[in-house]
Amino acid sequence: MSVQSAAERGPRWWEADLVHDFLRSPVAHVAALLTFVSVALALGADFIAPYNSNDPASANVIDARLPPGAAGMLGDHYLLGTDPQGRDMLSAIIFGLRTSLMIGTSSVLLAAAIGITLGLVCGYFRGIFDAVIMRIADVQLSFPAILIALLIDGITRTVVDRGTHDRLAIPVLIVAIAASYWVQYARTVRGLVLVERTKEYVLAAKVTGVSTLRIIATHIQPNVMGPVLVIATINLALAILTEATLSFLGVGVPPTQPSLGSLVSIGNEFLFSGDWWISIFPGGMLVVLCLSVNLLGDWLRDALNPRLSDA
Amino acid sequence: MGTFIAQRIWQTLFVVLAAALVSFVLLRHVGDPVNNMVGQAASLAEREAMRHTLGLDQPVVLQFARFLRDVAAGDIGVSYRFGIPVARLLIERLPATLELSVCAMLLAALLGVPLGVWTALNRRSVISHVLLAASLIGVALPTFLIGIVLILIFSVWLGWLPAFGRGATVTIGQTWTTGLLTLSGLKALVLPSLTLGLFQMTLIMRLVRAEMLEVLRTDYIKFARARGLPNATINYDHALRNTLIPVITIVGLQFGNIFAFSIIVETVFQWPGLGLLVIQSIQFADVPLLASYLVLIALGFALINLAVDLLYAVIDPRVRADIAVPRAIS
Repeated sequence: MSVQSAAERGPRWWEADLVHDFLRSPVAHVAALLTFVSVALALGADFIAPYNSNDPASANVIDARLPPGAAGMLGDHYLLGTDPQGRDMLSAIIFGLRTSLMIGTSSVLLAAAIGITLGLVCGYFRGIFDAVIMRIADVQLSFPAILIALLIDGITRTVVDRGTHDRLAIPVLIVAIAASYWVQYARTVRGLVLVERTKEYVLAAKVTGVSTLRIIATHIQPNVMGPVLVIATINLALAILTEATLSFLGVGVPPTQPSLGSLVSIGNEFLFSGDWWISIFPGGMLVVLCLSVNLLGDWLRDALNPRLSDA
Repeated sequence: MGTFIAQRIWQTLFVVLAAALVSFVLLRHVGDPVNNMVGQAASLAEREAMRHTLGLDQPVVLQFARFLRDVAAGDIGVSYRFGIPVARLLIERLPATLELSVCAMLLAALLGVPLGVWTALNRRSVISHVLLAASLIGVALPTFLIGIVLILIFSVWLGWLPAFGRGATVTIGQTWTTGLLTLSGLKALVLPSLTLGLFQMTLIMRLVRAEMLEVLRTDYIKFARARGLPNATINYDHALRNTLIPVITIVGLQFGNIFAFSIIVETVFQWPGLGLLVIQSIQFADVPLLASYLVLIALGFALINLAVDLLYAVIDPRVRADIAVPRAIS
């Protein structure tokens, strides 16, 4: 339908020689491997973890706060020790990884969906709506994302009562994180759309009578996705860190459910008893996860080499 | 230039008004203020009378205007949890946060700038590579984890430095408490400011390095070399001076970030500042406290941003409203 030459629009992101690039980058190998292992652990938590951390029966108070490698009273073996409730740390970390990755991924997807939609609409139609949204984006950029997430989450927490909140804690957290990271997508996509909309293939589509919605969704949108992919990857690490930080501060995931941040927070209370493993192991997992996702994002940016706009 | 400043001032007003509106809605609609003030046995007529004295029967716009006047006068309400006026509570806690933030920023700038210059001048040295790699890892290190590891090493294992509180403080004037004048206060400051400043330090280091490399490539530096000026004069007098212009902007902007991250550091180190107060106010649903913190933080950020933008416009005349100042993401 659309008359569009590869030379005019440049290579699309899936046409870049990603495989070739990947094979030449040892850093990307390690990062991809670690990310893959983390995702596999999170997905297969039920089968891989020695104990089910979500099952209250797995807590065994007589085995509380055992150091790594210790054997429990009933002959259980705890590779990474136990937490104050006598839960196996290794299992708690694997289940915590699942919670953290789930919240991180969901909030990145939500932020991207909001940002891409607003960016497409603002960039294509311009006008008052564009001006208002971009002004809000400017204002929001002048505040640290973590502060915005904290305030959204905190205000929701004080508005709803406690019982409702524990049930809604995770969705609220996802919305709060997404609301603090949508700006980058919106600004980037808008900038790209401003360029794309004047190109000939868009004009050709208009002339042949393609509807506006269809032009935006199926003609322009695929051509602005490369940078979005890079932002999303790098933001995944940030979103996971934000979740961990909020959970650490005690305003994120309820303490009954393990997430990497809430585990570190539990361990923090026992640091002075010398029980370092409760904080350090989940914290280490968090760093490994964020670092590998970050490196993967950096590699992807270099490989796709899109001209990322600021923000 | 004129429109640029006008736009920024307008934006500042907008942010503060928006924050005030959210905080107004919070205060009016989370729980009934009348219920919070009269006893259980109050009759309907008494409640109506109370409602009238509080002005709650007036139009919402009028109520909001009155709220703004109260906020401007520093009268925001009484904390549910502490039972004392919020404004007093905030003023009591402010010195702790400011001292921590300023120390962290100084630490970051005083270490970050020399390290950045050094890594730019000795680009090929092994130490430069190690420093750069470490700064990359630093980005993935969450602030709270840095704090915990520092506590574990220096407080729990080595026992050198305290891990919580401010130590002994001295009161200056009416309300300003400072930990800078006592030994225990200074010792207590070390770990929190290190935790808070570390990320900013890596940021400043990389920024100074990048700017410095950029400047060293310019023609006037080449010309200075051709004139046979000593290396030290070229590096520190000619290059560094131009490197520092963008650095000042970033340091100013990062002060806002430091303020936000102080919430985390204060929680880790039980530092009695604003950040710890706001986390507790969230956990205890202390609405007046949270609402006034919201206004305070919006005002603080808006003023910092305004100041930095104006400073930027003064330093660099090329600045136009459409140039985005680069900001780090959390």
